Amino acid sequence: MNSSLLLSITTFAYLVCAIFYLSGVIFRHRPLLIAGGFAGLGTLLIQTAGILLRWKESYDLGYGHAPLSNLYESLVFAAWAIMLIYLIFEYKTKQHAMGVFPSIFSFLAMAYASFSTQIDSKIQPLVPALKSNWLIAHVVACFLGYAAFAVAAGVSVLYLARKASPANPHPKGMLALIPESRQLDEFNYQLILFGFLWLSLGIITGSVWANSAWGSYWSWDPKETWSLITWLIYAALLHSRSVQGWRGRKVAWLSLVGFVCVLFTYFGVNFLLSGLHSYATQ
Amino acid sequence: MQQKSGLGQYLYQSFASMKLSVFIFLTLAACSLVGTLLPQGTTQHELHTRYSPGVARIIDTLGLNDLYHTTWFRLLLVLLTVNLVVCTLRRLPKTLRQLSQRDESITPDKLTKFAYHCEIRSPLPRDQVEAKVTSIISHNFGTLRRSDHSEAFAGIVEVGRWSRWMVYVVHLSVLLVLVGALIGSLLGFRGYMNIVEGGASRDVRLYRGNNTVTLPFEVRCNSFQVSFYDTGAPKEYRSDLTIVDDGKDALTRSIIVNDPLSYAGVTLYQSSYGAVLKRAQVEFRNTDTGKSSTLTLQFGEAAVIPDTTDRVQMVDYQKNMGQFGPAVGIALVREGEQPKGSWILVNLPQFHGNKIQNYQIQVLKTEDGYYTGLQVKKDPGVWVVYTGFMAMLVGIGMTFYTSHRKLWVWADTANPGKNSTRILMAGKTSKNPVAFEREFNELRERLENDLKSRVT
Repeated sequence: MNSSLLLSITTFAYLVCAIFYLSGVIFRHRPLLIAGGFAGLGTLLIQTAGILLRWKESYDLGYGHAPLSNLYESLVFAAWAIMLIYLIFEYKTKQHAMGVFPSIFSFLAMAYASFSTQIDSKIQPLVPALKSNWLIAHVVACFLGYAAFAVAAGVSVLYLARKASPANPHPKGMLALIPESRQLDEFNYQLILFGFLWLSLGIITGSVWANSAWGSYWSWDPKETWSLITWLIYAALLHSRSVQGWRGRKVAWLSLVGFVCVLFTYFGVNFLLSGLHSYATQ
Repeated sequence: MQQKSGLGQYLYQSFASMKLSVFIFLTLAACSLVGTLLPQGTTQHELHTRYSPGVARIIDTLGLNDLYHTTWFRLLLVLLTVNLVVCTLRRLPKTLRQLSQRDESITPDKLTKFAYHCEIRSPLPRDQVEAKVTSIISHNFGTLRRSDHSEAFAGIVEVGRWSRWMVYVVHLSVLLVLVGALIGSLLGFRGYMNIVEGGASRDVRLYRGNNTVTLPFEVRCNSFQVSFYDTGAPKEYRSDLTIVDDGKDALTRSIIVNDPLSYAGVTLYQSSYGAVLKRAQVEFRNTDTGKSSTLTLQFGEAAVIPDTTDRVQMVDYQKNMGQFGPAVGIALVREGEQPKGSWILVNLPQFHGNKIQNYQIQVLKTEDGYYTGLQVKKDPGVWVVYTGFMAMLVGIGMTFYTSHRKLWVWADTANPGKNSTRILMAGKTSKNPVAFEREFNELRERLENDLKSRVT
């Protein structure tokens, strides 16, 4: 038993989970959605074991660092965080039909981490710049934020789909089990406020870390700047709810724009722009 | 209304608009985006070699190659600050009003107009209902305050009043971060210094502009070490530094990446390193007299060739000169003449160029060393920024987890009969209506169960 076996199982288990949710929505069959939730929980547990085992393996190799140090490990953690936040969300709201997007996102993150030829899944030693206790706090905070935004983006898509159909409080077809739009709007807002808190914490820990590592809490590095752009978009979203007539559709669209920014902050900056975070590409 | 106050009012209204806030957020985001696409900090020369004259002119005029330090970008930040302050000040009276309305008069008609309200009928007499309602609400929501009413039982519960202040905490935190950044840029500096092992310096070259700052103390590099993993990846860079203040060793400490040293408000960070020639044993043979003398030269320090007034100095070093191996740059200064210099190839003693004027020169032994690259920073605003960070996290966190919720209850004896007591309950929340609705309904169910039968 090693961590890469557990993480391979995780990849396929997320696919199974996504299929449960998707077919539950398509066939309007609640038990399938419940099964999706249990599959998600089971997968999360396997993945947690996989991550902890990888952590231990890094100590066995003599490197000894948390599995949060490169693109592979961050993708695995992203998948984990999305499923964790979604399952808590599902448990608290008692709504089961919104798991389609989170489970697909988790599966895609794991699949990309496992199958891309550019991503090295080997456990590597830490470069001096990353040797800091801030590493765990910074990465965990950022990815919890990203994950909340991912779940919110899924809710926003459902909101827009729901609004696109004519004013029908009980739509038939695939939207039958989806909560009503007022609730979706509120869920979106709650998730974004939660993500905003973690993104702020992520930026702040990164900033304090940068100040202790190379003497500047803000240096307009592309990754920093893009995280600020993301923060500004979500700040605009949170404020725009107070502007007359800006609830609902505009907020859902801003949430999607925000998520595109999250994706660019995560992937685009690594591959298209160079900067201080270059170690995140390997 | 007078023309002048009309304009003032108009400006105040514009700055106080939430639409302007959203607009500034999105504009700042868009401008920052441009800055990440164009390389920043490019020189005029690079600009003109990389872009066509027209594009280069646009970039240069708008300052897009140093976007985050341009006046117009800073003006955007000032605009954000003004908008933030004005919006906050404008909101304040409303919040104060909301919080000062503690004892609103309660009437049954008013309660039924709330978004969240319900009516329960109970067969129990009013005094029993009163006791039960008070205990259930106090236990599940918050302490019930009775308001005086002769003919009925009325009360208000309020929780999370202070959560209305959290938005002010967040706004103040943003202000603190911006003010802290301003203090840092006005009173602080950022630069670097390279110190050879054994050497000392007090001059910091700044990143911005072409200036040097002289520190009030001297930094000596006692030694520098770099270690590697088996894979060849770097493991640790470590400089052993001593701060020399007033001629005395004030502080000696090692620094590594992520563990800087602070002294007198100035912080030194491990940032880079490089190899240098520390000292070399060099033989100078006078081709006129045939006399040879061997000197040990320290890098950068002048030495006199015995029995002459000629001074020599090692001024430069290359690890690999062309394909000829290491080379030492030596300068010769003779009184009344311009200094003369040449590259002396270490591995090719027979090379014809190994001479300066009438000296044939041979490098017998070299001793390599490192220089450490330190980043040097002084930022008196950093604690203001950090205070802002803390306030921001507390503010956003509390905004997420708390809301100002209020409940009103009313109980009176309506019509005589089986369910003679009427109980009305209404509620209001500042945010998160979905969660509040659930809380409200749970409370209602609990009351219904305890007070038995129900009408509506």
